[in-house]
This record gives sequence, structure tokens and C-alpha cells, in this order.
Amino acid sequence: MHLLSYLIFIPIVAALVILAMPARLSNAFRAVSLTVNILQLLVLLAIVLNFKISAGYQLIEKTPWITMNLGAWGELRAEYFVALDGLSFPLVALSVFIMFIATVSSWTIEQNRKGYFVLLLTLNGAILGSFCALDFLLFYVFFEFMLLPMYFLIGIWGGPKREYASIKFFLYTLLGSIFILIVLVGLYLSTKTPGQADLVHTFNVLYMQDPANLISGSALALDSNSYLGPYSFRLWAFLLLFVGFIIKLPAVPFHTWLPDAHVEAPTPISVILAALLLKFGGYGLLRFAYPIFPDGAIYFSWLVGFIGLLSIIYGALNAMASKDLKRLIAYSSVSHMGFVLLGIASATVEGITGAVYQMFSHGIISAMLFLIAGVLYDRTHDRLIENYSGLATKMKGYTAFVLIAFFASMGLPGFAGFIGEVLVLFGAFQSKFINGLIPSWMALAATFGLLLGAGYYLWTIQRMFYGLFSVKNYLGNLADLDSREYSLLIPLALAALVFGILPQLLLNYINPFAAEFVIRWFAPETLIP
Amino acid sequence: MISISDISFSQGLAVSVLCTPLLAAGIANLIKEKFSWLTPLISSFLLLLTALGTAVLLADAGIPDQKFSIPWFTLNNKIVSIGFLLDPTTLTMVTVVTWVSFFVHIFSIGYMAQDKNVIRYFSLLGFFTFAMLGLVMSNNLLVTFCFWELVGFSSYRLIGHWHEKQAAAQASTKAYLLNKVGDLGFLIGLMILWSQAGNLDIDAFTAIDPTWLTTAGICIFFGVVGKSAQFPLLNWLPDAMEGPTPVSALIHAATMVAAGVFLLIRIEPIFTANSLLIVASVGAITAVWGALGALVQFDIKKILAYSTISQLGLMVMAIGSGAMQGAYEHLLHHAFFKAGLFLGTGSILHAMQQVIKHEQPAFDVQDIRSLGGLRKKLPVTYLGFLICAASLAGLPLTAGFISKEMILTDVQTWAGSIFSIRWLVLLSAWVVTFLTPLYTFRLVWYVFFGKENLTPVREVPMIMRIPVLALAFGSISFLFYQGQLNSLTNWLMGTTHHTPFSITVISVSLIILSLIIGYLLYRSRSVKAVAPWLAPHHLLDWIDLQIIILSHLFSRITSFVDKNLIDLFIHQLIYVQVTMAFITNWTDRYILDGLVNGSASAARGVGIFARSIVNGKIQSYLLWAMAGLLIFILWIIY
Repeated sequence: MHLLSYLIFIPIVAALVILAMPARLSNAFRAVSLTVNILQLLVLLAIVLNFKISAGYQLIEKTPWITMNLGAWGELRAEYFVALDGLSFPLVALSVFIMFIATVSSWTIEQNRKGYFVLLLTLNGAILGSFCALDFLLFYVFFEFMLLPMYFLIGIWGGPKREYASIKFFLYTLLGSIFILIVLVGLYLSTKTPGQADLVHTFNVLYMQDPANLISGSALALDSNSYLGPYSFRLWAFLLLFVGFIIKLPAVPFHTWLPDAHVEAPTPISVILAALLLKFGGYGLLRFAYPIFPDGAIYFSWLVGFIGLLSIIYGALNAMASKDLKRLIAYSSVSHMGFVLLGIASATVEGITGAVYQMFSHGIISAMLFLIAGVLYDRTHDRLIENYSGLATKMKGYTAFVLIAFFASMGLPGFAGFIGEVLVLFGAFQSKFINGLIPSWMALAATFGLLLGAGYYLWTIQRMFYGLFSVKNYLGNLADLDSREYSLLIPLALAALVFGILPQLLLNYINPFAAEFVIRWFAPETLIP
Repeated sequence: MISISDISFSQGLAVSVLCTPLLAAGIANLIKEKFSWLTPLISSFLLLLTALGTAVLLADAGIPDQKFSIPWFTLNNKIVSIGFLLDPTTLTMVTVVTWVSFFVHIFSIGYMAQDKNVIRYFSLLGFFTFAMLGLVMSNNLLVTFCFWELVGFSSYRLIGHWHEKQAAAQASTKAYLLNKVGDLGFLIGLMILWSQAGNLDIDAFTAIDPTWLTTAGICIFFGVVGKSAQFPLLNWLPDAMEGPTPVSALIHAATMVAAGVFLLIRIEPIFTANSLLIVASVGAITAVWGALGALVQFDIKKILAYSTISQLGLMVMAIGSGAMQGAYEHLLHHAFFKAGLFLGTGSILHAMQQVIKHEQPAFDVQDIRSLGGLRKKLPVTYLGFLICAASLAGLPLTAGFISKEMILTDVQTWAGSIFSIRWLVLLSAWVVTFLTPLYTFRLVWYVFFGKENLTPVREVPMIMRIPVLALAFGSISFLFYQGQLNSLTNWLMGTTHHTPFSITVISVSLIILSLIIGYLLYRSRSVKAVAPWLAPHHLLDWIDLQIIILSHLFSRITSFVDKNLIDLFIHQLIYVQVTMAFITNWTDRYILDGLVNGSASAARGVGIFARSIVNGKIQSYLLWAMAGLLIFILWIIY
């Protein structure tokens, strides 16, 4: 059926088509882009119908991609290997949905539409490719491929300080990529294809996850004696992957690229950045770092949990100090992604399920938040919170969606964010009793993040939306939401509600993945002596 | 799974009762601005249906208790279900909530008639009723917590209904945040219970280690402290009076703030003796604190707010000392008489506001010093208010008297005959018994007696008079439900085992003494002001302010670290890198190029490129490939 390949390559082919079209057909680019999204939604529907609710990889497509005989080095073998499981399925569905929202949100882009939509479609394909890829090299290619369109989308279509923001974004993520690459090469050299007489190296992630496939005596094998300083190579490799991925997440102290990138990026790009790109942090940890190096994960669990907690509190405090609405929302992302890290660190079924759920719900809710910031910026070109007051009296529809988005982000029950956060907290608290990985006080301290979250959001509502109406530095009439903006916000609000009220829809997929994940790599009886 | 045929009549009715107010909220939102006058009528009608439904439910209530659940989600083979528990406790509470809510709806038709945002108001009122009913019916603590947060949300929105007023905006934020502080305790309690029992059904905690059970109980009690405005999280409630008065009646007197007390009754088995002593002490402090607060306020709504705090404290104290039945009855009675008092206040304010439009200069209608002699102008309101006030003061033959007696009796027994900390709790119960009539009748004398200083006050419309009278009737009606009847007969026949005659005598004489003192003190209306520091919330407000200042300080620090440490480091790094690039560039151009001729350098380049693949330096390869592609794309675009 090749459903996943359709999903990945429809946008890439469309990008090439737009490339071939003359630049004067500027309206056609939007139409092509929207068509791609609709096609992808149809493919997604087919995937949903074909995806069985059970653990395990499905919709597998596997063909040789690069095969190269390197003589003494053995044979290089990389495959085009894509599949979905309970981890990637929700994220793929989220990506298709968010890319649709982003395209509609890009409707108002005027400057150089051709370039914009080519890059947007390339990004689309790269994101889906990365979530589907199970060959580490293939993943890495797609992963790197996201970086450059993003760089240009911020750097060309962004705000006043766009060059600074885009370079900062590029350098940070490039640093992360290099760390991942080092481990990628190391793993490649340490892994053999099972069932082969000769030594055939492989990038297959599933092979890498099985310690039996690690070549005995190689640098990253379980029995490796290679030490560098205090840690073995395996622990270093875990740390490199960990840092590589938490730069993406982003976690404190590797997060300062995010507020700048968000503040400067155009609205649709902010939406994609927050809703999808950040998810590669959590996805990477759950797909690569944790299963391949469970020993590292156990060894550094305290550190992982602590960085998660630090991000929750530190991000929330920074959000409180932000004067710019978009910066506030960006920091709230740091805080919410801290929950993902905390859940992963706990390595309990609740924690892992909660982390994946939190990634999904944050995808929906942060998209709403950035669209909301965009609505105001489109009208007044000003995002400073202190310049607004009493918006609730003039923009009723807008205020209603701001309240929905803010309270959803605060984790009000009934919205998807609540389920994710509660499961993470349950898992993090439980960890001490189940596998002893992280202490219970981390879960207790993390609840302060919820309080701070309520604090900065309510304070923002009080300052911007309550009180008497006034807007500084703007004289025009502030129009309420138009039909295009409603068409963006309503589906997101509905999604946030549906997945908050009927969590089973997603847990059906995530929970078997989490259960299998924990049993296979973090079974309690192997951890507690 | 449940199929339709498995659902009994009362189960279906319970679910309908739960969902009808939500439906009302939904319908209200669909009504166009032009037809906004329809909203109050539709909402009130649906609430009437709900209230009638609960009456049927109560009449139909069979034994054994009805328990049923709908699976919500399954996690790690543990099922979390939306469970309903329909026992007499739930059903009486459901009845009280829906009827009080119905009366508040009716009253609001008149009170909010000229409001611009009447649709939002009624929609939130309906949503609140839904959430409150969910909270009461739920048999699963996670579901309870969800509704718990939702009532907090509707309270936040309704306090801020007139959000153009800065004070209302601030009060709503304060209320939500202080509630949230308590909610964190609740959430931590849930974390403990989940980790120990793996199931959050209310009856599932029997096998848990007692230490954990005590801790969880105290944590959940902290949630109650927030929601029911107990010490030290009580100072949001007086501020919440910025909301419309019917909202204060429904949410901040009769139902939401009582939800904490109701929850304590629900989960009583998880409390151990140690945690109960904490509960009792907190309740005792709150009860006295609130009563003193009510005594020194001059704002009519704030007096009632402090009175609510005090009465809630009394109930919490009663639960802590094992007077479960008394606490629950007092909760129900309080819902009626306090809602009646607030709606009566609403009538007064409404009548005064009609006058104040023509009066120059304007004065604060909520200040009892500027009111007076209203008993002749507002006779119906006066009657309703007086009955409810008598019930609050605990005068004999009112509902408040009966439940207060029950509480006093049980606390007395609990305190025992040997001196212990429990005696202090008992003492505070007596102090509250004495103080309550004092502040209640101080209020009545100031508002309804004395000289009249306003001329053209007219009684409020019928639609606002009826609810007040209905609630007043509820607070003296002994026949309201079965348990009440029993208490009366028990009391009259002297057959009760639990109200010793001595307690009745002491409490009645305390009340009489209090009325005499109050008469002497306040009849002359000579007390015009009290020192501001006597208003006890100032201390708590000050503490909250310090916490906020502290968190702002922290947020400044983190923001400084981001800008001046992390980013500075990054900038230095970039600077070093750029410098290095310049140096290599210079070296390449002036030294290497001079040494190596063109063909040699080409060969070298290919060699390096090939080696980089062999050595696994795929990074550069990929970057080259992508950079090439992108340069190509950009070249085509421009």
C-alpha cells in the first residue's frame, strides 16, 4: 500500500512541482499546498483505518537504499525503512493535522510565495519522514533536512531580528545534530545485521535496540571496556544523544534559541516549530536514546528528571517575566516540554504514556496559542502585553479562544493537556516505588509548574483582556476574528476538547507502546535489587 | 460495556439531571445577541426541569445505593471510570444544588435584566451547575478532581463577570490562584493514592498503608482548604464578592465553597485520627477568624462572606471531630439560609441602585452605614432576610439551630472530659455560637432599622421576591426531608440520645446574651469605623503579596540568567567561531594557496572528500548535498 511513502513524498513531489511553475502564478502555490494537505489527510484516514490497536510496528516499508562495500570496513547498508508504532502514529497524525493548519495560516503570506511554499512542503515531507523512519541514517537525513527550510523560513519571512534568530536556531540545532551524528556513526560501527554470515553493519534502529546485535568488543557493546574519563563509551553515547535531543525539546539550559526563534518567526512557522519540531526531542529520546542505551538512561535518570523539573519551573518563571506575548508562550512551551522529560525519566507506564500524550496535546494547544498571538500581531504589529487593556470588551470571539487556549494550556480538565500532565505526575511520583529511578519530590516540585502556569496566564488575561479598553500605539479599529481565523482555531479547540474528554482514543495507541517499552527495557524487577 | 437496557430509570435520570444544565449552557451560547432576552428564560426553564428531575430522583431513591460507572480510560490495565454514586447523601446534596441553582436563575432574570453580557452569565451559571452536580455525583476521585477544577473555572469567570472593573478582574485572578494552591494539594493526594492503590474509586483505599493514607488525607484536605476558604487560604472569598450577587449566593455561599465540606464527608474513611485532628483545628481557627472578620466589616456582602467562611469552618471542625451528620445537615441548611441572605442582599442592592441613579452625590450602597430603616420600604425582602438571618444565628425553631445543636453535641462528646487540644476546638465552637448572632443581628439592625436616609426605594420585582421567600421557607421548613423530621421529633420528645438538655440551655442562653449585647452595641449605630488592621484578611493578603513579589523576583533572576549568562556564553562561542573562520580563511588564501598549485589542490580536495565518507564523516557529505540542493532551489526562486 505504501501509505507512509505517500505521506512523505506527496509534499516533496509537490515542492518540485511548484519549483517548476512560474513565479507569477502566486495564488496557485497556495492551492497546490492545500491540495497536498487534503491528500495527506485522506492518506492519514487510510492509515487510521489500517492501523491495528496493538503494540508493534505496522505499515512497514523496507527497501535497500545505500549499499556500499567498504572492503575491510565491511559493508555499509542503509535502508529505506519506514513504519508506524504507538509512539509515532499519534505524532504523524498530529503532523498532518498541524501542517494543514499551517498552510491555511500561511494564506496571508505575500512575500515570495513560491519560495515559501516550496520550503513549507519540503519541511512537511521531512517532518513526516523523520517520524516514520526506522533506519537511523534515513532518520538523520530527514532530521537534517528539516533544519534548512526552517532556517530560511525564519531568516527570510521573519520579524526584525530574524537573522540573529535564525542563525541562533541553526547553530543550536546543528550542535545537537553533530552530537547525534557522532553516536550514529559509533552505533553503526558497533551493530551487525543478525542472521548474516559476514559482518554487515546496519543503521536499522530495531537491530540497534537489541543488545545481541552489538558486535562484541566494539566501542558501544554492552561488554565494552572503553572508558573516557568517568564514564564508559555507552554512557557518553547516551549523554550525547540526550543533549542532542533535548536541544530540540528544548530543555534548560539549551533553550535560549526557542524564544528568539518564535518571536521572529512568522505565525505559521511558529506553529510548526512549537507543535511539531519540539516533539523530536521527546521522540528522539523514546525512539533512540532510551531503547538503545537503557543502561545510560538508568544511570542518568536523576539528571534527566532534574532537567525536566528545572525546565518546568525555570520556563514558567521566565514566562512570567516576559513582556512580549509570543515570548511568554514560547517559554510556556519550555515549561510544558519539561513534563515530557519528567515523564520519560520516570520510565513507568504512566510516565511514558503521559509524556507522549503531553507531546500530542502540547502540539495542539501550542498551535492555538501561537495562532492567537499571530491574530493580534496581524492587526497591530505589536505584541507587548503592557500596551493592551480591556480587549475582552472589543474582541469577544478572540477573547473566548484566548481563554480556551490559555486554560487548555494550564491543564484545565476537559482539555487534552490535563491528561498528559496528570499521567506524567502519576508516573513521576510512582517511579520511586516501582523502579526507583527518580525521587518522588520531583513530582511534588513539578506541581509548582502548574501553579506558576496559572499565574502567568491569568496575569496576562488580567492585564490584556480585563479592565477598560485601550491599545497604545494603534489607532485603527480592532476587528474581531474573521472566518479564516475561526476556521483555524475551531478545529484546534475541538481537538483539544475531544482528546481531553475521550483520552482513550489516543491511549489505545500510546498505552501498548508504553507498556511494551517499559517491560522490554525498564522492567521493574531488573531495576530494583 | 454498558448497553442501554442495563441502565435503570434512576440512573438514566441521574445522568439527565447532570447533563441538562450543560445543555442549558450550550443552548445559551447558540442564541444570537439580538435575542439575548431569551437566554434567562430558556436557562431557567431547563433548570426547573433539572430540579424537578432531582425531586423525582429523591423520591425514587431506593436502597441499596445505586452505583454505576462508565469506563473513561484504561491505563496499564487499570481502569479509570466515570463512576456515579447515588446514595441518600448524594441525592439530598444534588437536590439542594439544583433547587438553589434554580432559585438563583429565577432571581437573576430580574437582577441581570439590564446586563449586556447576559448570555455569557447564564451560560456560565448553567456550566457551573453541571460541574457542581458532577462533583457531587462522582464516585472516582480523579473525576471529582476534574469537576472540582471546572467549578473553580466557572467561579473565576463569574467573579470576573464585570471585568472592566479592575477590582473584579483582580478578585477573579486571586480566587483562581488561591484555589489552585489548594488544588495542588488535592493533586498530590491523588498521586499518593494512585501510587499506592492504582485505583481512584472512592471505596478503593481500604488496603493502603495507614501512613500513606494519613498523608493523602491531609493533602486532599489542603484542596478543601482552598475551595472551602479555610485558614490560611481564605482571603479570596471576601474579594470574590466583586461578582454579581446571585453568583455569590450560588457559588460563594451555597454550593461551590461547600463542595470541600461535601468531599470531606465523602472520603471520610480515608482520614485517620491524626489527620482528623488537623482538620478540626483548621476548621476551628477558620470559624473564629471568620466570625471576627464578619464583626468588623461594614460592606454588607463582605460581612456575609466572612460569615460563610466562619460557617464553613464550623462544618470542617465538625467533620474533624466526628460530627459527620451534624456537619452535613448544617451544610444543607447553610445552603438555604445563606443563599437566601445573599439573594436578599441582592434585592437590597438592586432596589438601592435604582435610587442611586438619581441621587447626588453617589454613595457606596454596599456599606451598611449608608443603609437603614429598610424594613418598611422592602417588607418582603425584610421578612425573607430576617428568617434566614435567624437561621444563621441559630435561633430555636430554625434549621440552623438543629444542625448547630448536633454539631455542639458531637464536639462535646469528642472533646471528652480530660483536658486536651480538643477542648480548644470545643471552645471555639462555643465562641462561634456566641459571635454568630452578634454579627448577624448587627447587620440586620444596621440595614433594616434606624432612621431612613433615602426616600424613593421601591420593593424589587416579584421574580426577585419569590426566590428569597422560597429559600427562607427552606431554612425553617422542618418537613423538608426525612432526616429533618426525625431531628424535630427527637428534640421535642426528648428521646434523642445525643442532645443533652444542658447543651441546648447553654447555647440558647449564649444566643440570648449575644442578642442583648448586640442590641446595646449596635442599636444606636454608634460604631462607625473599626481599625483596618482588625479586618483579619490583611495579614493573609500581605503574605500572599510577599509570595507574589518573591516569585517575580525569581522570574527576574531567571530572565537575567537567560539574557546575560546563557546567551552571553552562546554569543562568545559564536564570536570565537567566526574569528576562527576568519583565521582559517586567511591562512587558506595567503599561505596554502601560495604553496599548492591548482591541480594539486583539486586532487587533495577530492581525496579529503572521499576519505570523509570512508571515515564516516557523513555529516559534511549530507550538509554538502543539502546545501547544494538549497542553493539550487534559491537560485531558481530568485
